[in-house]
Amino acid sequence: MRRSLTVGIVGSGGDGVVVLGSFLQKLAASQGYYSQMHMYYGPQIRGGASAVKLILDAERLSLPADETDIMLCFDWEKYSELEQELPLGVDTLVLHDNTPLKEINLPESSFLVGFSRKSREVTGSALSKNMVALGLLKRILALPEDRLKKTIEEDKDLILLKENLLAIEAGERLFCEFSFPELRLAPAQDDMPKVILHGNGAMAQAAIRAGCGAFFGYPITPASEIMQEMQEGLSRRGGIFLQAEDEIASAGLSIGASLAGVKSMTSTSGPGFDLMTEMMGLASAAEIPMVIIDVQRCGPSTGIPSKSEQSDLDHAIYGGHGDTPRVVMAPYDVEGCYRLVIESINIAQYFQTLVILLSDQWLGQTLVTFNSEFLRKDYPTKERKRPAREGLEPYHRYQLTEDLISPMAAVGDEGSVYQATGLTHNEKGTPAFDFEAHQRMHEKRWKKLMPLCQRHELVKVFGEEESRSGIVTWGSSAQIVLETVKDLGLQDEVKVCVPELIHPLPGRIASFLGSTEKLLVIEMNYSGQLHHYLRSQVDLPQKTKIYSRAGGRPFSRKELTGPITEIAR
Amino acid sequence: MTRTADYRTTLKPVWCPGCGNFGVLSALTRRALPDLGIPNHQVLIVSGIGCASRIPAYVDTYGLNSIHGRAVVIAQGAKLAKPELAVIAIGGEGDLFSIGAGHLPHAVRRNIDITCIMVNNFVYALTKGQTSPTTPHLERGEELFLSWQFYPPVDPVLDMISYSVSTRSSFVAQGIATDVSHLGWLIEEGIKHKGFSFINVLTPCVTFNPPELFNTIREKASYLREGELVELPDSSAEEPWPHDPSDISLALRLAQAPVLEKPHLGILFRGREKGDDGRVHLSRRSGS
Repeated sequence: MRRSLTVGIVGSGGDGVVVLGSFLQKLAASQGYYSQMHMYYGPQIRGGASAVKLILDAERLSLPADETDIMLCFDWEKYSELEQELPLGVDTLVLHDNTPLKEINLPESSFLVGFSRKSREVTGSALSKNMVALGLLKRILALPEDRLKKTIEEDKDLILLKENLLAIEAGERLFCEFSFPELRLAPAQDDMPKVILHGNGAMAQAAIRAGCGAFFGYPITPASEIMQEMQEGLSRRGGIFLQAEDEIASAGLSIGASLAGVKSMTSTSGPGFDLMTEMMGLASAAEIPMVIIDVQRCGPSTGIPSKSEQSDLDHAIYGGHGDTPRVVMAPYDVEGCYRLVIESINIAQYFQTLVILLSDQWLGQTLVTFNSEFLRKDYPTKERKRPAREGLEPYHRYQLTEDLISPMAAVGDEGSVYQATGLTHNEKGTPAFDFEAHQRMHEKRWKKLMPLCQRHELVKVFGEEESRSGIVTWGSSAQIVLETVKDLGLQDEVKVCVPELIHPLPGRIASFLGSTEKLLVIEMNYSGQLHHYLRSQVDLPQKTKIYSRAGGRPFSRKELTGPITEIAR
Repeated sequence: MTRTADYRTTLKPVWCPGCGNFGVLSALTRRALPDLGIPNHQVLIVSGIGCASRIPAYVDTYGLNSIHGRAVVIAQGAKLAKPELAVIAIGGEGDLFSIGAGHLPHAVRRNIDITCIMVNNFVYALTKGQTSPTTPHLERGEELFLSWQFYPPVDPVLDMISYSVSTRSSFVAQGIATDVSHLGWLIEEGIKHKGFSFINVLTPCVTFNPPELFNTIREKASYLREGELVELPDSSAEEPWPHDPSDISLALRLAQAPVLEKPHLGILFRGREKGDDGRVHLSRRSGS
């Protein structure tokens, strides 16, 4: 029996690969298994290569193995397009529908199962071949079915299972026709209720939780799920949703709603993020709360829209002309996606500033099963500082207060009418062209954010404080880094720092860097953007190495083993 | 900001003496807003960048002098968030019809209740005299309206009235900055209209336009009065018809008149209005 198993499923769009993967994930979740399902797809709208890599784990949330334990293939031609993402190991059990192309070396345990043939036999059509495969996988993994009935009743998608009973049962019977190797999953260890969610979904749910009442967006891969879920969520609550004509407009609409006192948000990916740049400057200069989620994909330009990369950090921190202070945060798991959206909305409101939240395709679209307790936790929400109702003094929108955060009236408030501008302005908001006012307002906007540097809890540190070897990594890469350190048994030798708040630089990153003699920075972009940023802010140890490469393929344990082992020495 | 009785702040405008923007400012602050009697905290004026876009600082209501070309989107966001506000987007023709032109058809189709005032002075004045989308186009050898620019315009003019009518903006009007009282009335009607209102204001630029340009406009201008026969350009072979702003096909015919041959002043079209809250009502996504 195995604690965990990694299953790959490949086919052509229309083969039902994602449906099969997600049904397997749902069935496993109903029994208490943790899982992560990463999706791979090409640029085609229909009929392209489609694959999932799914890990089922009886004990904890873990990442899919580099090589799959089971590979279920409906179409070898499509497999060859995704071979680098789903390599076959010598021990991989291969279950396939048709004979492979010559150049693929099949492992010893390969079985030509004939899902389509079986589907046609029992249903008259090959369409249910994924359900036949589901039946067989259930038996091979020995998935129990205790709570299955209840789950089917609760999940309307699973009704399909009832409708495809013949195909599923035929698949189950296939188990006895071949002598498969033993690949049973150990019984699930904990009984906590599970939830299946991807980062994009978690972000949308969190925005609503934090009181976001207006969302504006424009379709873009791989961020569109956030927009779609916000449309659902806000329309149910009488909120404001509008699909804009472009990303300049979605950013502008969001600034307009914010000016009128409604918490608003927009989400996008690289190219759309570029278009928002001028609006980012306005939000920063006129101190209008603004939250942008950037679900990063491979760049530059159109890049690889459906694949992950962490290459928008430079733009997030520095993008735009003039000196434009903003807050940049990056979650590294789905729970963080949820928590940091609430945090971003709070920070934007409280500090009256621009907050950019960097997610990525991997985080955004990987479906994860895990304990749902974080959804039920209490998260405080913050509101803007408003002008005193009956002020004796005339209201000055940009009044220099002790904490440099000026009370902000919402358009419509009586007695605090003001005119804001992207021009350099004085405390009243009146355009000003003198050096003193310009310098003073820069100081105000930068320094008001400084308390954030003390938010130690927004920097996660794993491992032993005394270790002198450290890794800094960020975003979804942190998951595989932490997993690899654990797999290598190096938790005592190598500590890992994962900053969720990246800019302004939290004190805790500086102290982590100060406590290391050997440092490794791991990130998924060609130029090493986090490394450059850190280097610009603090002195790094002399022995600093960088492991960074372009995205397009998730990091594997295999490639990280060398660099991590080296700094542990 | 100290408020004067007529919705003006005490700030002195940066405009040249004699600038048409003074007329627009007066129409707004001395005529439209006082006549409507909207409390100043219930008004938001969003502008872009340009001479006319300085207006928010001079009006004692909520205001945002934002980014070049983007006033219309920010204004829509604010209106959606607080439907009880009167929201005005203001800018020049370069602002609204060049860099920001992509937003207009979408504002029109959404028909969100904002009033868009385009201060059209036929030139990029803030940047000192470059050609704008409405700078009169010169045919070879032509001398009329010869501009004071190094490079006379060679591209045909974008006719914003014809454009707005053809996209079926739900309220289209044209005023002139030199007739404050009439312009004030148009703005008032625009604000009262529940839906996207577009008001083009023919405005003189005393610094970068030759006087002939605006003199000709004034000479040839004719007021539209409901029920009275419209005036048509000399070149037109059509029979004049009684003006009816509720008829889109008549508005489309009116919009055929080139603005320099027969500038029509008044409400060209007044169409579909929105529900009371001015909101875009959401419908549940179906089939999921």
